[in-house]
Amino acid sequence: MPRQLHLNVNILNAGVFGGSWRFPGTDGTASYTIEHYTSIAKKAEEAKLDAVFLADSPLLDPSIRHRTGNNLEPSTVLARIAAETEHIGLIGTLSSSYNDPVEVARRLGDLDYVTGGRYGWNVVTTAGAVAARNFGRAEEPAHALRYERAAAFTERVVADWAARTALVSPQGRPVVVQAGGSSDGRRLASRIGEVIFSAEQDLDKARAFRTEIREGAVAFGRKADEVVVLPGLSTVIGSTEAEALERRELLDEILPDAYARWRLAGQLGISLDGLADDEPIPAELLVDPDVAGGSQTFYRVVKAIIDAERPTLGQLLKKLSGSGGHRIITGTPEQIADDIETWFQAGAADGFNVMPDVLPSGLDDFADHVVPELRRRGLFRTEYEGATLRSHLGLGLPPAPTSAGFPVPTLEVASR
Amino acid sequence: MSTPVQLTLAVGEPAGPGLVSLAEADAIAALAARVGIAAIRIADASPAGSALDPTVVAAYLAGRHPGLGFVPELSTTHQAPYNTARRVLSLDRATGGRIGLALKAGEGDEVSDANAPDPTASDPAARWAEYALVLTRLWESFPREALIGDQAAAIVVEDSLIAAIDHAGAYYRVAGPLDGPSSVQGRPVLVADLFDVDAVAATADVVVVDHDRASDADAALTQALQGIGRSRADVALFGRVPVRLEAAALAPALAADLRAWRDERRLDGIELVPGGDADEVSTVLRELVPLLAERDTAAPSTLRAAFGLPEFEAVAA
Repeated sequence: MPRQLHLNVNILNAGVFGGSWRFPGTDGTASYTIEHYTSIAKKAEEAKLDAVFLADSPLLDPSIRHRTGNNLEPSTVLARIAAETEHIGLIGTLSSSYNDPVEVARRLGDLDYVTGGRYGWNVVTTAGAVAARNFGRAEEPAHALRYERAAAFTERVVADWAARTALVSPQGRPVVVQAGGSSDGRRLASRIGEVIFSAEQDLDKARAFRTEIREGAVAFGRKADEVVVLPGLSTVIGSTEAEALERRELLDEILPDAYARWRLAGQLGISLDGLADDEPIPAELLVDPDVAGGSQTFYRVVKAIIDAERPTLGQLLKKLSGSGGHRIITGTPEQIADDIETWFQAGAADGFNVMPDVLPSGLDDFADHVVPELRRRGLFRTEYEGATLRSHLGLGLPPAPTSAGFPVPTLEVASR
Repeated sequence: MSTPVQLTLAVGEPAGPGLVSLAEADAIAALAARVGIAAIRIADASPAGSALDPTVVAAYLAGRHPGLGFVPELSTTHQAPYNTARRVLSLDRATGGRIGLALKAGEGDEVSDANAPDPTASDPAARWAEYALVLTRLWESFPREALIGDQAAAIVVEDSLIAAIDHAGAYYRVAGPLDGPSSVQGRPVLVADLFDVDAVAATADVVVVDHDRASDADAALTQALQGIGRSRADVALFGRVPVRLEAAALAPALAADLRAWRDERRLDGIELVPGGDADEVSTVLRELVPLLAERDTAAPSTLRAAFGLPEFEAVAA
């Protein structure tokens, strides 16, 4: 059998676009109910996807007035989904910045046991002062320190899992997922990531990124195939190309403008006040990604678009459409399957973290029309072969890290 | 008169007396819902082996037994209050308001300790009281009414109704607000073991006292509540009793003893802690609980209602 795609669905509350929650025929507050998540997971399991994926940050997003936010804590949502499904993998984000490693090791190891070996931990660092203030800090810790802590934290947790003699899940221990695209994040990915959730706009860059991660893994004494690279892919699907483009236009129209400007300003770390839609983004104000604060991943992606295309503010807002920076593809199921196949065969991706434009309708269209097309091409499974996330991903159980035992550095901030 | 009965279980490995497997817990929960148990309290530890994380077990079992309440135990140790508040409120929302939190007194967590306002503070009772206050305030920081989802006006949330808590105490500094709205029962039910009556009086909805310490619990609790302007009727006093029931024929006598104890000590509910294995827990549920709970068949709509607590009122900041 030829190499097989891996497909996750990212249940990003109402959908990846800033206006998803306003899409006609959509219940605007459904993403505040547990049934939204369990029913999407059941649909994804019917389509034999590898996993559902939940993003998370421990904070109320200041943009809440104009767009829905993530609002249910992932470990409890995934345990709930596990109670109502049998096969689908369950990937949930937990911050290494603002959790205690002892507690995370226990809870997530137990979640893996309770789910029958279906759990994957997406380890992130948490940027921003809003989250910091929920944990006794006045401002966000330095980027490098966040990643230094994340690396030690992750190794400590994985070592704790590997040392278990009771409550061991059928897959041995959770899969480690890593989602940071900064220089520090790429190092962490190569060192310990088993699934890499990346943000890529360009096929050549994505191929270079995947190669870098695989070579980096080998440099850390791992095998290249122990790493599965899944770029985010936002999908806008229509039964005809015109219908898809119309849907994409509509998503732009319903994007709350105040949200889009706020989000972009936050990503770029500059003020957009007073800048008209037809004026160019002041590229000279943008610093080098390696010294940017906040999330370097999306800063890097958006800065690359600005550097390459020199867009006006209006053009850039439309291109991003409140989706943050993951690649958006608009088309028929065949066109989307073509794109997925092209990236996959070119070595730019092992699969995708699919981020439907609107939930649940965007996933329904993907599951009902794109997945069958990928199957016709022999690229995607028709049945689950096993019952664990490692089985779905074709991942074995690698040796546990040997460098554990070093202290996990705390994110001390002089805020007293 | 119906009496709320809470059943305590530790879930994990190896299955045996005092510790049931996940599959056994699933069967026990189904039986518990049928016989009128108000809630299953999930223990954080067991001397008999390795216990699973109670919030994970509660989330899993609640997905399979929608009418039942669940009360996971959780210690302050290793858990920053913002994380605890989010996780427990998520559970409460996902179950339609059938969650309580049995908050255990302990130490701090690595994240909060690194920036603790007073690094010398180290009294578990004072920490518990501060932690519980932070939880209750966070649970109220995003009122349900604020979630309006007005698609035409492009307003998800009326954010003027949401407020940071800006808590600064001796142990914690927490800004808030939480990321999700309050639950249908107002907020999760806060359950406190009676280790320090003054520490728990300000925030607890349910106070649990051990069998051998129950003699003056009602009087002490009444006095502590009066001292801070709360009414005894706002709080349920549960008596906790270890039970062994190796033969069904022993159930009527035990039930009579427990009812007499309940009345004598002015208890509002009973927490049963079975010491046997899963089969014995099932015997307790089938034979003893119906004689104690005397509940109508209809399950109450929230845990607060199942515990006989008055409608939710906010704790003063």
